Amino acid sequence: MKSLLTIMALWRPHKGRLLLGVIMAALAFGSSLLLMGQAGTRLAGAAIGIGAGFYLLRFAGVARLILRYFERYMTHDALFRALTDLRVWFFRKLAHSSALGIGRKRSGDLLSRLVADIQSLDNLYIRIIVPLVVALLSAPFLFVFCAKGSIGLAFIVTFLFCLMVIGVPLLAGVYAYRMGPHLLKARSALYSQSLDIATGLREARLFQAEQRMTDVLFLKEQALYKAQRHEVVQMTVCQTVAAFLSRCGVLLTLLFAGGVYFHHPDIVHNLTLFFVVMTIFDQFVDLPRAGFLAGEVLHAAQRVTEPLTSEGQIIDHGGCAAPVAYELVAEHLTFGWQKERPLFEDVRFTLKEGERIALLGASGNGKSSLTTLLMGITKPWEGTITLGGVSVSDIDSNALRQKIGWLSQSSHLFDDTIRNNLLLGEKGVSDQKLWEALEKAQLADFVRALPDGLDCWVGENGSALSGGQGRRLALARVLLREASILILDEPTEGLDRETQEEFIRTLNKLDARISVLLITHRMTGLEKVSHVLRLEDGNLKPVPF
Amino acid sequence: MVADKKKLKFWVKEQNSLHKKAVYGLVFQGFLNVILGCAQAWFLARALACILDSSMKGFLSFVFWFFAICLLRLGLNVVQDLMAFSAGQKARSRLRRQILAQIFSAGPSLLRTTHSARIAALLVDNVESLEGYFARWLPSSVLWAPAQWFVVVVLYWQNHRAGLILGISCLLLPVFQAVFGIATGRASRKQFLALSRLQRRFLDRLRGLATIVMAGRSEDEAQALAESADELRQRTMKVLRIAFLTSASTDLVMIIALVGIVITESRYLLHTGSVEQAASALFAVFVVPEAFAPFRAFSAAYQDRARATETAEVAVSLPAVETDPAQKMAVSEISAPVTITFDHVWYRWSAERGWVLNDVSFTLSPDEILLLTGPSGAGKSTLLELVLGFIKPGKGQIYFNGQDSMTIAPASLAQTISYLGQKPLLFYGTLKENILFARPDASEEELHSALKAAQLEVVVSQLPNGLETLIGEGGFGLSGGQIQRLAIARAYLKKSSVILMDEPTAHLDRETEQEIILALKPLLKGKTVIIATHSEEFDLFDKAKSLHLLHSNVSNDKEEISA
Repeated sequence: MKSLLTIMALWRPHKGRLLLGVIMAALAFGSSLLLMGQAGTRLAGAAIGIGAGFYLLRFAGVARLILRYFERYMTHDALFRALTDLRVWFFRKLAHSSALGIGRKRSGDLLSRLVADIQSLDNLYIRIIVPLVVALLSAPFLFVFCAKGSIGLAFIVTFLFCLMVIGVPLLAGVYAYRMGPHLLKARSALYSQSLDIATGLREARLFQAEQRMTDVLFLKEQALYKAQRHEVVQMTVCQTVAAFLSRCGVLLTLLFAGGVYFHHPDIVHNLTLFFVVMTIFDQFVDLPRAGFLAGEVLHAAQRVTEPLTSEGQIIDHGGCAAPVAYELVAEHLTFGWQKERPLFEDVRFTLKEGERIALLGASGNGKSSLTTLLMGITKPWEGTITLGGVSVSDIDSNALRQKIGWLSQSSHLFDDTIRNNLLLGEKGVSDQKLWEALEKAQLADFVRALPDGLDCWVGENGSALSGGQGRRLALARVLLREASILILDEPTEGLDRETQEEFIRTLNKLDARISVLLITHRMTGLEKVSHVLRLEDGNLKPVPF
Repeated sequence: MVADKKKLKFWVKEQNSLHKKAVYGLVFQGFLNVILGCAQAWFLARALACILDSSMKGFLSFVFWFFAICLLRLGLNVVQDLMAFSAGQKARSRLRRQILAQIFSAGPSLLRTTHSARIAALLVDNVESLEGYFARWLPSSVLWAPAQWFVVVVLYWQNHRAGLILGISCLLLPVFQAVFGIATGRASRKQFLALSRLQRRFLDRLRGLATIVMAGRSEDEAQALAESADELRQRTMKVLRIAFLTSASTDLVMIIALVGIVITESRYLLHTGSVEQAASALFAVFVVPEAFAPFRAFSAAYQDRARATETAEVAVSLPAVETDPAQKMAVSEISAPVTITFDHVWYRWSAERGWVLNDVSFTLSPDEILLLTGPSGAGKSTLLELVLGFIKPGKGQIYFNGQDSMTIAPASLAQTISYLGQKPLLFYGTLKENILFARPDASEEELHSALKAAQLEVVVSQLPNGLETLIGEGGFGLSGGQIQRLAIARAYLKKSSVILMDEPTAHLDRETEQEIILALKPLLKGKTVIIATHSEEFDLFDKAKSLHLLHSNVSNDKEEISA
């Protein structure tokens, strides 16, 4: 529920348009009622000999046509504006947390699902809120309209209607909400098995496991299909109940019109009443489906609004410019991700200007957390970190990250041109500077030889480049910022031995004025390093080498 | 491009014809529903006519029949929905089996052209997206026109005037659909590329968000995202505007029919008021929505048609299931020990890419090791895949114990060879299951001797649940070295005569690498071994031949390093 409120709050700027969409929908429905009502009145009147003009009928027809068009147009327009805001909000929110996850790679599958979730929120407005609001507006109208004929009828019919548009969709929604996680899990299991098959095609051949893997896949499929069947049965039941309630409402109105109970003398009125009631029931008989959607949408909303930030995280902040001096000093540093388990305790660390230090330690959060601290993304429990004598928390976040460059195997290459990968949206940078950065990364010759040069497409995840070339591009990107300090987090991980050695050679050729913090798990590529530290038991210990 | 379109059409047609029986069943039920709809409208019309007549003769029985048919329709709808869903599931399951067979037939070489995630997405997401296509679009596409004209004919038979009006409106329908449909198609095609590029950009930026933040560019990216999302909105609205006109034209046709019928019938009724006339007029009015309901269902499902084409595009790129006649005749088996001979073997992936392997020849006897060296892309992995039999030489022959590889049954070849690559497959299961994957019917003793030989016993003792610990995605994380030991255990369990290794220690640090090589030494005794590697550590193997591959150039360096 809270997640829905969060989303509603995000949509507040577009309140006017969203409301207009609902009003259009209500008016369009109103014209439908007028149309059918007039049809009933005219036919009934004609049957008993009362002739009248058809102006209202024609008007209703034209009105319905135009209003329906505008209803569709305005609801979609309002929705897309609201969704845009949601995406940007989500992007900003994710930006804060993703920097924390720099040690771990976020699953692409998870991200695609989140993007799909945002997309599915369009159902929230168009298929759920709008019809529901119009239905709820119709209920009192229905009551008043029937009351003219008979109060008793009004009560009965409105009661059935409310059951149909509130009771049944609510049940459907609750059911869909409960079933949601099961379906998602079953589908994930099917996907995992498919991925295992796809990545293990070689093993499948070699161990003659093709039949075995097929059997497992279809077991998972059957589990998913069973859950889906369950859901469809439930949905059918809900729809049948709603349809049954609708037919009962129509039946009762028909009996009333026939004078079976609660007599009312005016035949034309009775017939008009019947037409209008029948139209109202027919219009909203599909609302249980909206209820079902609501159950799923609620889950999507929760996933999208899930708190991704955690304690101790600093939101980007302004501050003073970065100082010219760039000695990095950390004193009495104490920090950890969990309250009882600090990763550093009272740690002292200095990176002098132009110095190169290697940090060893088993793979894990320890070494990468130092990065988040040094770059001002997290705040230590205790202690200070200063850059050129100025506390890191006082420096403008963006200025800090221009001063300290970061490169790791997670440095992402975007599905864009080489130029855009280097610039990352920065404006006013000359091509010459780009070439200089490429030279330092020893990638310039390669790019010059390409047919499109800087405008060559890099491919998804840098697929058009080899592992080594991609890493060099990421390096060039960092060097373009003219950072004074480089934090290299396992920079050669994921490359084959030869490419690693070449890349290390390039790193060793970098400007000697740049300070380097090399985070690694192996004792290779340490030629230019002045000393090595190991992170062990919350302390940094020097390692002889 | 045209050839592709033909292939797509053919694929879609094939799927449709496999699903034919179910579709006809659903169409029949749909038709029954329409017939009942007409009957329902008739009884309702008669009941209301009774009221207008004030005679109330037979009113209650008409009402009874009306309600009974309503309930019957409810029941029919339930059956229809469940049947449609069940048929849809069957169709999807069948398609999934077909695609899986194609994937297995194409084999590991498929991964060179298609990313594994794409394959998994095809198997799961693409097939599942066809739910609407099989369950709703196919039956409604067949049903709507006959159903609509059936209603027109029935109405005409009952009431000529009204029938004529309805008939004319129904004729207008396809005209409007064609006009606006083409316009919509054109607009969406123009926008489609831009739309999908914008979508992909959003996802791509999300994936690289850490990079963007660490470079201090997140605020600018947020702005750029807002701009591109707004562009997305404008483009989408452009397409939708026209699509809404299409819906409006359907509305228009229905309103023309309704208003036209009400006016003409009312005028007629004024002159000739009678119960039958009134009933006829009312029947005409009630039957109009019945005529358009099947079309409405069809329009609602139109998105599902696009899913079919999308899936077809990916499915068609998979090669058809191989029924190579040469392979069918391959029946001979290989027995240990194995001598491998390459006789002037050439290989290329495609005519444009050129020969990867040029005239490679060597003979490898049992208990001999061949070290394959050379830069990335020189063809080391390709050579290994030739030995594995996943691909066939372009020129030349490969012999196993003197038998041409083309005459050897693929199953026999697979049984004889063990392969250790850089990233062995770990699936979500226990450690035991993962090892036994090599040979599920292995005994406990064999499993334990494999664990011992691969030096996994220490690792097992450190795991929370020992052999029963769940590993793989979402399970306990094993280190690179531990995963390689698992692969070695599998190789031990399989007891094959030939062992191929493709850079097995590439991602390991020197210490772990040395340990792994130690674990490997006993495994390689007496076997025929080919190792592709960069590492100097493997030079420690005595009695190793070496073959150095260069880009499109092979230097046949057969040095015998003496012990």
